[in-house]
Amino acid sequence: MDLNNRNDEIIETDLLIIGGGTAGCLAAVEAKEKNPALSVTIMEKAHIDRSGCLAGGMNAINAYLNPGETAESFVKYVRFDSCGLIREDLVQSMAELFEYSVKKVEKWGLPILSDEKGNYLPRGRWNIKINGESLKPIIAKAAKQSGAKILNWVTATNLLRKGNRIHGAVGFSVRHGRMYVVKAKATLIATGGAAGIYKPNNMHDAQHKTWYSPFNNGAGYAIGIRAGAEMTSFEMRYVALRTKDAIAPTGTIALGVNAPQVNAKGEKFMQTKYAHLGGDGAPTPYRAYGPIMEIKEGRGPVYLDTRHINEKQASDLKAAFLDMYPSQVLYWTANDIDPSKEPVEVQTTEPYIVGGHCQGGYWIDVNRRTTLEGLYAAGDVAGGAPFKFVSGCWAEAVIAARDAVASMSQTPSEEIDSKTIDEEAKRIYQPLLNYRHKPAQGVLPYDMEVRLQKIMDEYAGGFSTYYEMNEESLLIARKQLAKIPGQFEYLIANDLHQLMKAHEIIDRVDVARVLVEHLLYRKETRWPSYQTRMDYPDRDDENWLKFVNSRMNPETGKIEMLTRPYEQLIAGDRYKPRG
Amino acid sequence: MPVYVNPNICNGCHGATQPPCIRMCPGDLIVKDPLVDKAYLKYPEDCWDCLPCVKSCPVEAIEFYLSYQMGFKNASLKPHIPATRDHIIWESIDSRGKKETFTIRTKVLDIEIDEKVEGSTPVDFSI
Ligand SMILES: Cc1cc2nc3c(=O)[nH]c(=O)nc-3n(C[C@H](O)[C@H](O)[C@H](O)COP(=O)(O)OP(=O)(O)OC[C@H]3O[C@@H](n4cnc5c(N)ncnc54)[C@H](O)[C@@H]3O)c2cc1C
Ligand code: SF4
Ligand code: SF4
Repeated sequence: MDLNNRNDEIIETDLLIIGGGTAGCLAAVEAKEKNPALSVTIMEKAHIDRSGCLAGGMNAINAYLNPGETAESFVKYVRFDSCGLIREDLVQSMAELFEYSVKKVEKWGLPILSDEKGNYLPRGRWNIKINGESLKPIIAKAAKQSGAKILNWVTATNLLRKGNRIHGAVGFSVRHGRMYVVKAKATLIATGGAAGIYKPNNMHDAQHKTWYSPFNNGAGYAIGIRAGAEMTSFEMRYVALRTKDAIAPTGTIALGVNAPQVNAKGEKFMQTKYAHLGGDGAPTPYRAYGPIMEIKEGRGPVYLDTRHINEKQASDLKAAFLDMYPSQVLYWTANDIDPSKEPVEVQTTEPYIVGGHCQGGYWIDVNRRTTLEGLYAAGDVAGGAPFKFVSGCWAEAVIAARDAVASMSQTPSEEIDSKTIDEEAKRIYQPLLNYRHKPAQGVLPYDMEVRLQKIMDEYAGGFSTYYEMNEESLLIARKQLAKIPGQFEYLIANDLHQLMKAHEIIDRVDVARVLVEHLLYRKETRWPSYQTRMDYPDRDDENWLKFVNSRMNPETGKIEMLTRPYEQLIAGDRYKPRG
Repeated sequence: MPVYVNPNICNGCHGATQPPCIRMCPGDLIVKDPLVDKAYLKYPEDCWDCLPCVKSCPVEAIEFYLSYQMGFKNASLKPHIPATRDHIIWESIDSRGKKETFTIRTKVLDIEIDEKVEGSTPVDFSI
């Protein structure tokens, strides 16, 4: 292959879905159901049978309206859990579709635990238990059967933009290297959130032992940022409370067997120090902040106290992890830990940007349209609506697909000039060329990743600084990050896998730069631990009850900051779970 | 080394170019050594410990370890999928040899041994 004599794969489609994960698969099915004549294409960097967050499996659907709950009560809870600031329109509209999407996936074969009468078994207010080990292959099968065209192992690198409209996307095949130019009347981004921006808790041969899928690198954010889409709330990073080392979800233990958090002295610190916020039921950022402070002040390690459970419950707990996070079970047996005899040590993870647990992502309207015409966003890549989990991602995908189908005919397809495509080809394949011609001067994607993670960890509130930051440290992060794009030209890749890794790090840097601007801009601490500004330690509703948004000007490359107002649609006290 | 393809058991899915272990890895970390027709984990440090590769191998050739920094040797965890494909039997052995098994309902879909990928894979993709 040579750059001037390429054999690009050109595809024309009606709806292009970038990312065939949880949201992407549901969107494809919904679009084909609404209009079977439509051509739908999924572009996926891995193989849709096992890709994204669901690859390992799931043991619960974390967002569902159990008996007695309504879309309104859900909005109130999510608002409380996110410290008073969410897009209520988005959260309400997704809650209204939980039932529709869950029932649909159940029909495809997902085993959901239910009682003799057929009612789902609730776990807490919003969760239902599933045997979701095979959830991803089940929804992938539905996507394949819908008739959508699936491009496996094609990783998206940029959107096709003309003015303010998006006409599809470009990517390359990780298998045979060819460039894909997919022209579409409507494009939906469903590539998930971003892991790997910060230094991970485990290093060396376990560096990818992170909670969030390390293969979701924030590509979906990055291609939108480069095309000038408006982003929101990146500063609400997700810092997860997880089991120590294995980094498995703790809800399975905390909710599953009602285990409270205790410190090294055996004190139930959440129940005493955070009683005014709800104790062990305090908003999620505080459930990470509480243990961080115990450790920082010398009362760590911190545990989930499981000593009250019996052998049968311990065995059920292991079974629940086997559906989703098997390595937790191996961790216990390899370290001689019996959770019914000793408490389970927990720690917080490196921060992630994920619009499903927090709300960093595309600024969208209630139909999941982004600020660029013809471009939609759904799932973890979409902002403003935390507490999505799998069912919320499904709901958003359904909403976006329905709107895209309904407004499809009004969108003419446009020619993209060949110069734009040639420039992108050069950008894509540069690291391979570098490896051929100047390997000695090169930078490995891994080295650039470590560099990025070091800057972010030390100056932008990573694990090693207890997630704390101030103006001065963030300014250093900004300065150091600004240098990295100038280094992209040195990246080297010796095969197509490494080429994918090179683009992963380019995307991560673009996301990190926007993130640091957001962290600098919000001059209050709204979500302790997610966003601990030491120089502005308090929440400030008077000045900051609003969304911090950004847009990179595609012409100048400058990141411009702006704010958008918060709108309260559901009455009540925003700081109470049932307010 | 989080997962390990045991070369004594892997049969390369009889010359398949895209066997299940390679297809199911969400990170594209497993490749085949064409000289011996066996798969191996090329990027161990990038492994997510998510196990689709382990569960999809038709001959149970892939073993799962924890990286040594996280746990001592000799404990093991193995999934077995029976022909009915409606449950998984997990076999867990702790470092002292105590065995526990778990039978968990699921719906394991059939996985083809090989799958055609659009286009061909040139041996030399240099440009
Ligand atoms: C370990 C873990 C456990 C969880 N457990 C639960 C649970 O039990 N219950 C629950 O409700 N929620 C759970 N969640 C949350 C839930 O799984 C996610 O919020 C949800 O799957 C996100 O869906 P998504 O479609 O946005 O992203 P994903 O499902 O991750 O899909 C994104 C897809 O985009 C692809 N992609 C990425 N970049 C590119 C690119 N450049 N080009 C093409 N394709 C690309 C990826 O390969 C992937 O297939 C869990 C999450 C994790 C990480
Ligand atoms: S699926 Fe199993 S037998 Fe087939 S190539 Fe992979 S490891 Fe070998
Ligand atoms: S455990 Fe997951 S990430 Fe690791 S090789 Fe297997 S499928 Fe890939």
